[in-house]
Amino acid sequence: MFSGKFRSAVVIGGQGIRARKLRTFLSMVSLFLGVLAIVTVQAGSEIAERAMLTDVELQFGKDGTLTGYIPGEKGATGIVESTLRGRDDAVAMISSRAVIGEPGVRPINDGGMPFKYAGQGRGDYGPRVFCDENGCEEVKAEEKKPDGQAIDVSLVALTGDIRPFKPFRPVSGSWLDFTSAPSLAPRIVLNEEAAFGLNTYKVPGEMMITGASHHVTPQIVGVVADGDSSPRVYMRLDELRTWMPTTVEPTRAQRFQGGGTSLEVFLKPGSDELVRLLQAKLVGAGISQDQLHFNTIDHKERMESQLKIMRLIFLGMAFLVLLIGVAGILNVGLATVGERVEEFALRRAVGMSRMLLAGIVLAETLLTGLLTAAIAIGAGAAGLQVGLMLFGSRFPSLEGTTFPWEAGVAGVIAGLVAGVLGGLIPAVRAARIPIATVMRA
Amino acid sequence: MTAPQMTDATEIIRPQAPLLQLTGITKVLKGQEEPRTILSGVDLTVHAGQSVAILGRSGSGKSTLLSLIGLFDRADSGEYLLNGNDITRVAERRAAALRSAEFGFVFQRFFLLKHLTAAQNVAMALVNGQGWSARRKRRQQVMEALEQVGIAHLAKSKPTRLSGGEQQRVAIARALVRKPRIILADEPTGALDTETGNLVVEVLLNTTRQGCGLVLVTHDHDHARKMGRVLELRDGRFN
Repeated sequence: MFSGKFRSAVVIGGQGIRARKLRTFLSMVSLFLGVLAIVTVQAGSEIAERAMLTDVELQFGKDGTLTGYIPGEKGATGIVESTLRGRDDAVAMISSRAVIGEPGVRPINDGGMPFKYAGQGRGDYGPRVFCDENGCEEVKAEEKKPDGQAIDVSLVALTGDIRPFKPFRPVSGSWLDFTSAPSLAPRIVLNEEAAFGLNTYKVPGEMMITGASHHVTPQIVGVVADGDSSPRVYMRLDELRTWMPTTVEPTRAQRFQGGGTSLEVFLKPGSDELVRLLQAKLVGAGISQDQLHFNTIDHKERMESQLKIMRLIFLGMAFLVLLIGVAGILNVGLATVGERVEEFALRRAVGMSRMLLAGIVLAETLLTGLLTAAIAIGAGAAGLQVGLMLFGSRFPSLEGTTFPWEAGVAGVIAGLVAGVLGGLIPAVRAARIPIATVMRA
Repeated sequence: MTAPQMTDATEIIRPQAPLLQLTGITKVLKGQEEPRTILSGVDLTVHAGQSVAILGRSGSGKSTLLSLIGLFDRADSGEYLLNGNDITRVAERRAAALRSAEFGFVFQRFFLLKHLTAAQNVAMALVNGQGWSARRKRRQQVMEALEQVGIAHLAKSKPTRLSGGEQQRVAIARALVRKPRIILADEPTGALDTETGNLVVEVLLNTTRQGCGLVLVTHDHDHARKMGRVLELRDGRFN
């Protein structure tokens, strides 16, 4: 009966461990570092994977999506806009800048930086010079404005629903409704950083869009997580067009400063025909073919692949450390079997099978491995908490990190594997002990 | 098995089938040197409640015979019937089950585990993978066995705190705890003084009065004379 055998093995294994506490402790010490190494590597790689991959689709788009970067000049935005209007297999994102709050003031996060860096880097570094293939020119410093209650955001106008390509996570409210009639008061969706800015600073509800004819009063309809640490707002392009009928093309100096309009297109996989149509129209408008770049997104796959290689390398090293621990258990196990020859022979004499005897020796090493794994997992989890307390503030992506359960599983598996590897040979030897050893021993 | 009927303290009406029956058992040791015949055509029959003493000089094959009876080893030829069933070529797994259910073993050295109490040492025969009983039932069985050999009060003592005679009685309780049909005792008094040895032999003989078969291997003629039958092994045969 399996349960009887199993229970017997566990009971006798437990007795064996209790009888040799110091030896078990020394085995655990030799195994501890190996299991801890496995737990640490697994936890580290899981945390790194989560930190790197969680938002990669939000930032770059889903793998397989076709994406194109198009210069916002020579009427390109109008061409893209008219070509993609009403289509659900492609969306264009037209990015610009906007300030929400008091007009004519310097925003709290001038330049659209994350709010935790607001107020930093405002020193005067002298005149700035912009150079390209046509020569150099000095960028005129903007008129110094007084500090005021306003926040600087990236404005992203969309020709359609971007979420099939970038799966933004809803935080509150709703997403933009592209089926209703355009509103004069543009409906905007904030990312979390923009929502944080509006929540933290009391700014008036007025929005100044770079290139727009008038200031507008936006309606905030929701907040999403978009994986961007800088404040952003999303709105419908047709609602933007009410206030900015044509896109203002950036000057060289604006491009240098990161201003002006940038245009990005997302297309479903297999939209090659549409890509060719766009390219033909844009080349026809005078944009060089070299400036049109369409790629298939594979960021997630590439990062996963890189992380996998790193994980394998480190796991391999950790496994070597584990093997040293296994050698320790094996050594102790062989010595113990040598000392317990009579006990094992006697157990067989009173009716224990060879298999169960081997099972008892394995049970002892497995219990030792599991105990070590439990301690190593506890040490790993505690170490992570201490590490986060000491260094967490330096790595914002680690905020809210918890000990990954996968590392716990890896630790348990490492403990079991070490138990099996360290106990197998002693178990076989124990099973081969002849019962006659107890006759006139 | 049909329980033997007691008529008085020593005489028993035996059932038809003997507990064990060895016929023409031969065992040859095949080492690096020339093969050596240890047992040569040994016949032995033991009935329930019967005690048999096996005498013989060192190397005469007494222990080898006991290890064949106890299924520690297999005979090269001959036939072995246990309760009428042929177990001459029984597989190891079945042999382990039979050792657990049918036999109780007592050895010259007591083989008690020092880290366990007397009760835990006795319970060793119950925790051997041949079935499982609850802790309470195990405790009850262990205490019954210890009472049977008169040392229930020492149940919680570790072997190091027990005398030689007490340790051997713990070993006998371990042999009895599963209520075996046959006790195989290999020089059980070899490590004891005469008085304690006599006490241990009495304890073993008591088991035969309850229907157990007893095979006692000994050098001591006084102990042998207390058994129902005395056999002497010489040159691998019974005289």
